[in-house]
Amino acid sequence: MYSLWEVTKTLWGGFETTLLLFALTLLFALPLGLILSFGSMSKFKPLSYLVKVFVWIVRGTPLMLQIMIVFYVPGLVFGNPIFSGRRFLAALITFVINYSCYFSEIYRGGIESIPRGQYEAGQMLGMTRSQIFFKVVLLQVIKRIVPPMSNEIITLVKDTSLVRVITVIEIIKVAEKFAAKGLIWPLFYTGVFYLVFCGLLTLLFGYFEKKMSYFRS
Amino acid sequence: MAILEVNNICKNFGKTEVLRGISFSLEKGQVMSIIGSSGSGKTTLLRCINFLERADGGSITVNGEKIFDAAVDTKLSEREIRMRRLHFGLVFQQFNLFPQYTVLQNVMLAPKLLHADSDENIKIEALELIDSVGLSDKLDNYPCEMSGGQQQRVAIARALALKPDILCFDEPTSALDPEITGEVLRVIKQLASRDTTMIIVTHEMGFAREVSDTVVFMDNGIIEEQGAPEDIFGNPQSERLRAFLNSTLRI
Repeated sequence: MYSLWEVTKTLWGGFETTLLLFALTLLFALPLGLILSFGSMSKFKPLSYLVKVFVWIVRGTPLMLQIMIVFYVPGLVFGNPIFSGRRFLAALITFVINYSCYFSEIYRGGIESIPRGQYEAGQMLGMTRSQIFFKVVLLQVIKRIVPPMSNEIITLVKDTSLVRVITVIEIIKVAEKFAAKGLIWPLFYTGVFYLVFCGLLTLLFGYFEKKMSYFRS
Repeated sequence: MAILEVNNICKNFGKTEVLRGISFSLEKGQVMSIIGSSGSGKTTLLRCINFLERADGGSITVNGEKIFDAAVDTKLSEREIRMRRLHFGLVFQQFNLFPQYTVLQNVMLAPKLLHADSDENIKIEALELIDSVGLSDKLDNYPCEMSGGQQQRVAIARALALKPDILCFDEPTSALDPEITGEVLRVIKQLASRDTTMIIVTHEMGFAREVSDTVVFMDNGIIEEQGAPEDIFGNPQSERLRAFLNSTLRI
């Protein structure tokens, strides 16, 4: 039989994949989401409609289905299995697209909630549009979106478990290998990993909120 | 020569004519109050002069230089608008201070971004401005830590930091509790005594009478009557103005 230590070590190997997918998704989806939000708020209507339809499709279908589509469709439909042997990459691309869409809506909500007076005050003081965005609006937006963002980011931690449908070996997939050998408790034990990590994230977001509590907007 | 000449400004929102040919001129160092009931176009006029709205017709001249002509300037670049707007400062009804910055940072931000002067001089001037509105003890406070009256005084200092030719006020005391409107009005009066050119949209009739060189009464998108405060308030000519003054006095 396996000792707790051995199981922990083996599961940790899978959890590293989980963490890597989590971190890389954030790294790409946070900026991409901002760009998408600008697209959906664009005064150029065709662009804004295009982005909105895209966001609708991505948010309107299951992430698990999207993972399978990205992974299988190039090979099955176009005869060009670009992701064979690159399962993690397929998973990452899907996650980045999916989470960019959710983030873009959070950004949009935050940006649109800033009173018009803030922009006009900046304009009357001779600021350029980018100065108004970066020097006046951005920090206020960040303050407002920390709570919904933390919600979404914590969901992301647990959504990473979906990538096992294309056999990316993340922590639950590793635990399932134990289960296949008749050892079931490692599967339940994975919950502790998620729980601890989400706990740490919660502390971090609490710290951010506190950091920005010196002003009200 | 007039510092500001506004000629035949028109503005429509959809089919609604909000401004129907507004003309006036203002001499340097003078204070003009704009009074009138809600919806008469006062605020829209101020916003057109300040390039926050684009007038559909008319022209605006500052110091003899035509800075806006609706017939010619159909497509001004953002940069051009920005430069021309610097002739004006605006104090908003809702203050619109930047909440994440302290009093001192609020006043210094724009001059710094415009590289108007060395950082040191910008700070010296900001300190003087904040002192002149009586808030030297609040330099490092954030807007949320201050009363509305104090915030509005900071907003005045901030608007003055770029040394506008004409300082505009859009109902500067309408969002304030009655007992603290006085502190803001005192600051504006002090500016008037130092010959700051100002346009003040206000509902404070007593204040308008006291501080103004000219009072403009707007009604339904036109200037119904215009004159010295003693004439406007003491001897109103038009029926509309008499009705308006009666209704404000009765409250």
